[in-house]
Amino acid sequence: MPAFMSALAAPSLPVSLPFEAALAEMAAPLLLLDAGGTVLFTNARAAALLSCAEPVGLSLPVLLAQSGAAEPEGEPVLEAVRATRPARARLTLDGDRRVEAALAPLSAGGFALTFEDVTEQLRGAALARQEPLTGLCNRVGLHDRLHAALAEADRTGAPLAVLMLDLDRFKAVNDTLGHPVGDALLRKVAERLRKATRSGDVVARLGGDEFAILQAGAEQPQASEALARRLVDLVGRTYVVDGHMLNVGVSVGVAVAPVDGRGADDLLKHADLALYRAKAEGRGTYRFFEPAMNAQMQARRSLEIDLRRALALKQFDLAFQPQIQLETGAVTGFEALLRWNHPERGPVSPALFIPLAEEIGIIVGIGEWALRAACREAASWPQPASIAVNLSPVQFRGGKLVETVMNVLAQTGLDPARLELEITEGALLENTDSVLDVLNGLRALGVKISMDDFGTGYSSLSYLQKFPFDKIKIDQSFVRGMEGNAECGAIVRAIARLGASLGMRTTAEGVETPSQLDAIRAEGCTEVQGYLTGRPMPAAQAAALLSSSPVASPADAA
Amino acid sequence: MSQPALNQDSLNQDLRRLVYYSRNRVGGPAAMNETIRGILAASRTNNARVGVTGALMFNAGCFAQVLEGPGEAVETTFERIQQDERHGEVSLLAFEAVETRLFTEWSMAFVGASQADAALYGDMAGESGFDLSRMTGNNLCAVLHGLALEEEAAAA
Repeated sequence: MPAFMSALAAPSLPVSLPFEAALAEMAAPLLLLDAGGTVLFTNARAAALLSCAEPVGLSLPVLLAQSGAAEPEGEPVLEAVRATRPARARLTLDGDRRVEAALAPLSAGGFALTFEDVTEQLRGAALARQEPLTGLCNRVGLHDRLHAALAEADRTGAPLAVLMLDLDRFKAVNDTLGHPVGDALLRKVAERLRKATRSGDVVARLGGDEFAILQAGAEQPQASEALARRLVDLVGRTYVVDGHMLNVGVSVGVAVAPVDGRGADDLLKHADLALYRAKAEGRGTYRFFEPAMNAQMQARRSLEIDLRRALALKQFDLAFQPQIQLETGAVTGFEALLRWNHPERGPVSPALFIPLAEEIGIIVGIGEWALRAACREAASWPQPASIAVNLSPVQFRGGKLVETVMNVLAQTGLDPARLELEITEGALLENTDSVLDVLNGLRALGVKISMDDFGTGYSSLSYLQKFPFDKIKIDQSFVRGMEGNAECGAIVRAIARLGASLGMRTTAEGVETPSQLDAIRAEGCTEVQGYLTGRPMPAAQAAALLSSSPVASPADAA
Repeated sequence: MSQPALNQDSLNQDLRRLVYYSRNRVGGPAAMNETIRGILAASRTNNARVGVTGALMFNAGCFAQVLEGPGEAVETTFERIQQDERHGEVSLLAFEAVETRLFTEWSMAFVGASQADAALYGDMAGESGFDLSRMTGNNLCAVLHGLALEEEAAAA
């Protein structure tokens, strides 16, 4: 017998036939209950949803229990029946169907109870908050959980911590071994993160090699510090993936609510700033947010904006420092030094803006400007003196350096033999082979290559062997230390002899006093550059200096 | 236990040997005793099931371990060790394809120079079938033994 036929027999429900047929056929599962909560009518969909062939006559508690609805979930509905008021509740039927039940008291007495199956909707929502590769929470999920945790923390006053994580050297794994190995590694990292955290913590992958952890219900900052330390240890341990031994590290930034922020966005931003600091201070470590980081980041951002504008407006300038041949005292050439005079900031130290320009990549544009300006200036000089221009390691990465130098030489008409490009060891540290290719390409154009700041850093002699530099520039720290420190003198002597025997000229940098000059002369350097023999000067003054003094041509100096 | 692992090896082209040592972070002799016996028991059941055999050498300073078995099972076992905070500063010495196993079952031995610790754990080698002569037969294992002694001296 169809369900609605049984309802027809129910005496207390005065319904007319069309309504009843409509109720029986409607798409939404529906039950009608009497005032006491006993089922008077059920449509076919409700009977199917509740897996009950004959609900009519059953009391609501019995029906829900039969349908597998977990006990405490149904209670709000039963309570509302007793109080004759409307209610909504989410029920779990037979273990896995999730339904939303809505109870509405009827004016004629009794209740209508409708259900909506929200299983798929909830599953979809859960999937939308899950990151498919690792099964961790995604960014949306983290935001949801963080908002909920912050609301809870606001009520209870309990602190919570957000940890932002970035893998160190992950890109190298992806680039050298491919994405499948990279993905397998990310899954292992995710597993270690899960293992290192407690079950109540939320672990999320925000994308790429970025992860985040929400730690609630623990004493702060002790718990997050212990966790951060554990993560640096555990995530940094060697992995074995598809037969490869892999090593990555992790940098961690921590922000704690409420002290570091009460809102989700503030906390995430502050944890990110702390992460930035951890990465800047050597990676493989953790840092807590400090309010000063905000101010420093603001200052950095504003410098970055000004720096980009400076490139567009060509606010840079070059100063020229003379290089003197020790034997004759003649000017052999000048080193072009980058200067930035900002309209409001005044002169900005290259030590401040060049590292930033390298970090954000615009050193490539600035370097090209400097190269062109220096070559153009040198081409206009009355004497064919040499012009030295510094190259940043970043300029070697784009694969266009040789082309750029060739274009600049063509445009300015400068004799390539007069151009000396100075590189530091830093340029050779990464991808030595491809850098050597570029250096050989530059050499083929006819320009000279100098090794700058030699003696600091790694000072690997293998670089001198791998590429025949035209000149070694001895770092100024050794020259300055010569007077009081015999070791500095010995180092200068050793580099000068090394240069002589490899057929490379040697320039002592940072000479400030006559006794330093005598000392480097005695040690056998070929050239000198420093405040004593000439400070950096404007272009016009450099040109004037050349007009008034005899010049050793670069060829003579070699 | 050893027979099934051996029989499968002839079919299994992907036999791997992994060798590592790590600083021992377990504090105190009582905790050490409990940990070591726990590891032995767990290793015997877990590793046997996935066909991983090997040797664990330990003393007050370090754990040194050889894991042998199918590549994936060795990777999984090693990953479990990496997630264990009792092991600190794990140094992976080798992960290589091999033709045959050096250890056909789970062995464990105290390899320290300390007399007191030797008295505590000395029984374990016999109990677990540990055979040092097999260790000396392999250069890498001999190196491992040397490293273990060094770590013990550093920890003392």
